[in-house]
Amino acid sequence: MSAPVVGTDVPRVDGLEKVTGAAKYTADLKFPRLLHVAVVRSPHPHARVLDVRTDRAARMPGVRAVASGRDFPLHTGIYLKDQTVFATDRVRFVGDPVAAVAAETPELAAEAAAQVHVEYEPLPPIFDVEEGFAEGAPLVHPDLGSYEVVPWIRPKAGTNVCNHLKIRKGDYASALKGSWKVFENVFRVPQVQHVPMEPHVSVARVDLAGKVEVHSSAQSPFTVRHLLAHCFGLPHGDVRVHVPYVGGGFGGKAGINLEPIAVALAMRCRGRWVRLMVDRHEEFFATVVRQGLTATLVTGVDRHGKVQAQKMHYLWNCGGYGGYGVNIVRSAGYTCGGAYEFPNVEGDSIGVYTNRPVGSAYRGFGMQEIHWALEQQMDRVAVELGIDPAEFRLKNCLGAGKSTVTGQLLDEHAGRVDLCIRNVAKAIGFEPDRERTPYRGKGIACAVKAPAMPNDAASSVILKFAEDATLEILISGIDYGQGLMTVVAQFASEALDLPVEKIRVKGCPDTDLSPYDWQTVASRQTWATGNAVFRAASEIRGKLCATAAEALSVPAEELSLRGGAVVHEATGRALPFERLVMGYQFPDGHAIGGPVAAASSYLPEGLLFLDPETSQSAKPVAKWTFGAQAVSIAVDPETGQVTVEKVAACYDVGKVVNPALIKGQTYGGIVQGLGTGTMEELVLDPKTGRAVNASLMDYKIPSTEDVPAEMAVDFVETAQKDGPMGARGIGEHTMIPTPAAIANALWDACGIRISEMPITAEKVWRALKAKERAERGAKAAGEARVPAGTVA
Amino acid sequence: MPVDLDYLSPSAVDDAVALRASRPSAAFLLGGTDLLPQMRSGRRSPETLIDLKRIPELHEIRENEDGGLSVGAAVPLADVETHPVVLSRFPLLAECSKTVGAWPLRQRATLAGNVCNASPAADTAVALLALDAVVNVASTTGRLAMAISELFLGPGQTALMAGDLVTEIVLPGAAAGFRGSYQRLSRRKGMDLATVGVLVGKRDGAPASWRVALAAVAPTPLRVAAAEELLAAKGASAAREAAELAVAACRPITDLRGSAEYRREMVGVLVRRGVESLG
Ligand SMILES: Cc1cc2nc3c(=O)[nH]c(=O)nc-3n(C[C@H](O)[C@H](O)[C@H](O)COP(=O)(O)OP(=O)(O)OC[C@H]3O[C@@H](n4cnc5c(N)ncnc54)[C@H](O)[C@@H]3O)c2cc1C
Repeated sequence: MSAPVVGTDVPRVDGLEKVTGAAKYTADLKFPRLLHVAVVRSPHPHARVLDVRTDRAARMPGVRAVASGRDFPLHTGIYLKDQTVFATDRVRFVGDPVAAVAAETPELAAEAAAQVHVEYEPLPPIFDVEEGFAEGAPLVHPDLGSYEVVPWIRPKAGTNVCNHLKIRKGDYASALKGSWKVFENVFRVPQVQHVPMEPHVSVARVDLAGKVEVHSSAQSPFTVRHLLAHCFGLPHGDVRVHVPYVGGGFGGKAGINLEPIAVALAMRCRGRWVRLMVDRHEEFFATVVRQGLTATLVTGVDRHGKVQAQKMHYLWNCGGYGGYGVNIVRSAGYTCGGAYEFPNVEGDSIGVYTNRPVGSAYRGFGMQEIHWALEQQMDRVAVELGIDPAEFRLKNCLGAGKSTVTGQLLDEHAGRVDLCIRNVAKAIGFEPDRERTPYRGKGIACAVKAPAMPNDAASSVILKFAEDATLEILISGIDYGQGLMTVVAQFASEALDLPVEKIRVKGCPDTDLSPYDWQTVASRQTWATGNAVFRAASEIRGKLCATAAEALSVPAEELSLRGGAVVHEATGRALPFERLVMGYQFPDGHAIGGPVAAASSYLPEGLLFLDPETSQSAKPVAKWTFGAQAVSIAVDPETGQVTVEKVAACYDVGKVVNPALIKGQTYGGIVQGLGTGTMEELVLDPKTGRAVNASLMDYKIPSTEDVPAEMAVDFVETAQKDGPMGARGIGEHTMIPTPAAIANALWDACGIRISEMPITAEKVWRALKAKERAERGAKAAGEARVPAGTVA
Repeated sequence: MPVDLDYLSPSAVDDAVALRASRPSAAFLLGGTDLLPQMRSGRRSPETLIDLKRIPELHEIRENEDGGLSVGAAVPLADVETHPVVLSRFPLLAECSKTVGAWPLRQRATLAGNVCNASPAADTAVALLALDAVVNVASTTGRLAMAISELFLGPGQTALMAGDLVTEIVLPGAAAGFRGSYQRLSRRKGMDLATVGVLVGKRDGAPASWRVALAAVAPTPLRVAAAEELLAAKGASAAREAAELAVAACRPITDLRGSAEYRREMVGVLVRRGVESLG
């Protein structure tokens, strides 16, 4: 066995391609006689569509195809089929596609789109989630009861509720009555946008024989194929999806997005390639966004500082369609208690339709949102009880022998959130007796997330050799920067003792040729594809050894692999892979074996559905990844500007596969968390429902200058039982706790709480002024009482 | 963006002026960092672009006999803020320039463009106002000089007539020697427009002279003469009063970057801090 490869900083295998520009993204691809698409979008947040007239547009010069809901009344959606390719009877958000035009130039397409005449009858819009949830609210989807839906998502016909997951564990009501102290707070998170560097783009062609071919900037080629086949009623074998390199997804390119519009147009001009590319402006509101959340939390504690009763009421603002968002609602439901053990729980996670942009997957899949609420709630309770917030978390957190909100008992292989808490507390200097400086503070927050996916979500791989014994690995997971291709090469290298330089990972899948993979989401690729790689590698090893055993006339069991050769230790004889991978030829000329290849897959085992009434389940998810972050901040008391000076992060990832890559993931997650936590919000005009900050000038994400001066990143390695070499997911988790940690540090620094994300300077300034007024009032009333923990 | 766009690049100022006069729907182009985004978003749709960057005269930075400096219209901000005369005699201009966008942007963006675009948040405009800059203009009726204090009329509006071509911006020698700070609040640190910008400058002497100018808190960049006079009379100990005068002078609006109330209060905080730091 050569030196280990897993656990070392193997440079990105796709690095050279990316830095030289050799890597091609969808918009880089050249197509002969490409047609360009313009989409006719609803200017109304909510309206009945009375008439769509496309005849004038269709007659314009250069126009090759026009499509609308009349021609394609087809439903799509990954879990709940509540969306049509084009609006048919009704539009549900500003930007909802009504029709589309394909023309010889983008300008002609835009001119023709402007000539599509749509007659609307405006309906009262709902933007606020509580309004949408209220009894008697106007219905966004009157036909909700008739939509096709997977069995584990529960829409409520006759309401705006597209999914409701209930957690009932223990006896919440009695536990609350018996509590020593009770705390109730409300927290809010606005819709935000993913802002990937590469906006959405899809190219489609239907050939003269009727076969559909698509190139798309997508996270999930097979799910795109599956949903396209379903939507258009085609055999899967006649739909082919290619995904080139992808310039960021963050969940926004999960499931299916622009593809059906491009395909619908392509069907009307067979033989021509049709490209739909949204610009940065449309990217903000016409593609998907992160859902908004209103969370109401009630916590009842006993005299020992142990939480006894915990209620969590999560109202999700799903926007106009919930096809994907319904599963965020579910995931937030079965994770509603975060990293804590709550013996008595009443949890409700409810998805509500509104007339806002469509909510969908976004890195963290609901977890940053609920942790914003939970982790501030835990902090408030700790402070009110006079217990150190880190200590309070340790007292209540999950671990071996503890049970989650679904009643799942964790064993010693589950991650150690306690170690993560201790680690970041130490790194940031979170000692209870630390020296205090006015307007400087420290905050801590935990995180947990499981992959949110159907129980049978699988990944597979194909391993095959080239003539020179280069190992080629076909995967269908997408490497959009997280390093999947590199990690796959490392696993194969480790399993076959073959140098990474002899491995080529084919990372741009083509559904005709590549092995099946459900989706690149849920922080599942290193784990699921990784497992498949080890299984296939073991088959490869068997084949190589069998041939070598015959060639060397030794028992196969005595052979091992080393440095790209099959070795017989006892005799020192060896056969390099080159002499085996295409079959071994004996000196007399006869050959055995044959081209060596293997295909394998991984499907999580033993997952059980949740009870429909209580959501209790002994194994609702494949794995949990726990972690914590702590931050130190400085507040300018006069301007409200918050500077995040240092962030410490620690996660129990089971196994660090590539230290450089996992650090990169963590830095990136922290910065993205800083963005949603302190500056991001998609703002709609309350009258028109139009996004008013749909540009990079008005919608800010962190720049390099906003990156915290210091980020200390560390990992715990409690091996995941079913993980490749013990590894579990980490991609999303890195951004979950950051906003809550900053909010908690704000309390520590100056005694204010911001319960509505993002924490802008102006909000901090207002809160400081309100606090000052309250203190003046209290002083004037002769009872100068400052809340505990406040630094004067 | 219109598909049919004429692009002309004359090599002399007079030719540019004449071309502009012959084309009713034309716009002058310098770095294009304001103009091109405005065209893309449909806010402006000229049919002809007259690129001024081929005119040698507009690329000059010239030291004048009075100790001042003339900056040609086509000189990018990156060259302005690193110019030795700017750094030694007009450091406030460098301070302001350095906050515009980011370094790559300032390789294209120009001082004249920043002025002609007349954004209330134009960062270099506050320095030019504070330094009594003069804008030299060429037009069909000849050349004239305009005081910067007369230039700004409102958001995107200047006293320039259609067809007027700014040839250079002159920093008078008499304004040399002011030092101080440009404090700027924005939603993020890198590449963002000012939510509030406050310049405070001081030149030692008996008595010392002061400058107070504001960005993003009124329809135009603003100079607060009342505060300057007060400081000249009473010195830095009058920081709070000066701040109050600045607050009284500003007329901010509420927009995505901040509320009027917040901006007004921040003017007070930043002017006071700026003055105190020079005390
Ligand atoms: C990403 C980004 C960030 C930015 N950040 C900032 C910032 O932080 N602060 C800030 O103040 N600005 C900022 N800007 C705006 C812009 O960069 C500046 O205003 C810049 O100085 C404009 O100069 P320019 O040479 O690009 O002008 P141009 O866009 O070429 O011209 C600007 C205007 O002046 C007119 N014009 C050009 N030349 C002449 C002339 N000789 N005579 C008369 N009129 C003329 C043009 O027709 C146009 O209307 C930013 C812009 C971008 C794209």
